[in-house]
Amino acid sequence: MDHQGAAELFSDYVDGELAGPGKAELESHLSVCIQCRTDLAEFRQALGGLGQLKHAPAPAGFLPQIQRQIFERSRGRFFGKRWKLFGRIPFEWVSLVMIVAMLVYYIVQLRGAPTGVQLAP
Amino acid sequence: MGRRNRAGRLRFGQRVPFEMSAAERLLIARLKERDELAFNEVVRAHGDKVFSLVYRMIGNRAEAEDLAQEVFVTVFKTVDTFRSESKFSTWLLRIAANHCKNRIKYLSRRRTDGGGLDDMPEDKMADAGRAPMQAHIDAPDVLLEAAELERLMQQAIGELDEEHRLLIVLRDVEELSYEEIGEVAGLPEGTIKSRLHRARMAIKDYLAKRTR
Repeated sequence: MDHQGAAELFSDYVDGELAGPGKAELESHLSVCIQCRTDLAEFRQALGGLGQLKHAPAPAGFLPQIQRQIFERSRGRFFGKRWKLFGRIPFEWVSLVMIVAMLVYYIVQLRGAPTGVQLAP
Repeated sequence: MGRRNRAGRLRFGQRVPFEMSAAERLLIARLKERDELAFNEVVRAHGDKVFSLVYRMIGNRAEAEDLAQEVFVTVFKTVDTFRSESKFSTWLLRIAANHCKNRIKYLSRRRTDGGGLDDMPEDKMADAGRAPMQAHIDAPDVLLEAAELERLMQQAIGELDEEHRLLIVLRDVEELSYEEIGEVAGLPEGTIKSRLHRARMAIKDYLAKRTR
């Protein structure tokens, strides 16, 4: 096994995925090759450094900022301010009530209007 | 359930059939109806993971915050396309990964003088006479302070192209299984392993150069 061939096996070896003759051959090479031992040590240090990177939690105010973005992009359809008692303004219901009110007003006006046509003297 | 190794990962080659829990199914259904409370739950449950992935990929906190928000906006808009063939968290990470790759390409094209990482580029730091990890270091895990080590590792990740960067972050930082990485990156396991190895070797070489 040469240096290149040994280096190709480092990931599998460190992950514990290398077994059987491949592992034995690599370990045999490592026992006599100081360069590959050094490379492997550096390889392990690199992985150790990556493993030490801490999880970065989302910053404070992350959710409200997303909500604001969706609110703006949906032109107020989502994540709008809610009325304390009635929730969002129900435009559909407001429209329906207006139509019914106008209909009732029209009927009342119609009934209150003078019936029959009087000819002018 | 497959056997897990010490890190809690599934062993390579073992597959676990995916089953979504009833609670998750219900949550997705509510999300598809644009239930705002369900969306809030999703952000609370996955926000840290998504932000962490994005931050490690991009290396800049402000940029990562912006991008992670963008990921969740995309989730809200496109949740109808989620077909429940994979875990919801995997689907979420796939969206995050795609956003990251696009942003990295964009930033590398733009390549402004502000620097990609939270800090200045290393050559500028050297010019400023405050390159902390160049001269006196024998082994990064022994002699560097934690913050400097983190900065150095983040710079090493930032040297990789977006594909290799994604694999390193998913496997060696976020500790996903190869199976999960395959679903996020859309690559077969063999390709993941060979690319991951190249990425690890590149990081090793970078650190070796910086710490000698």
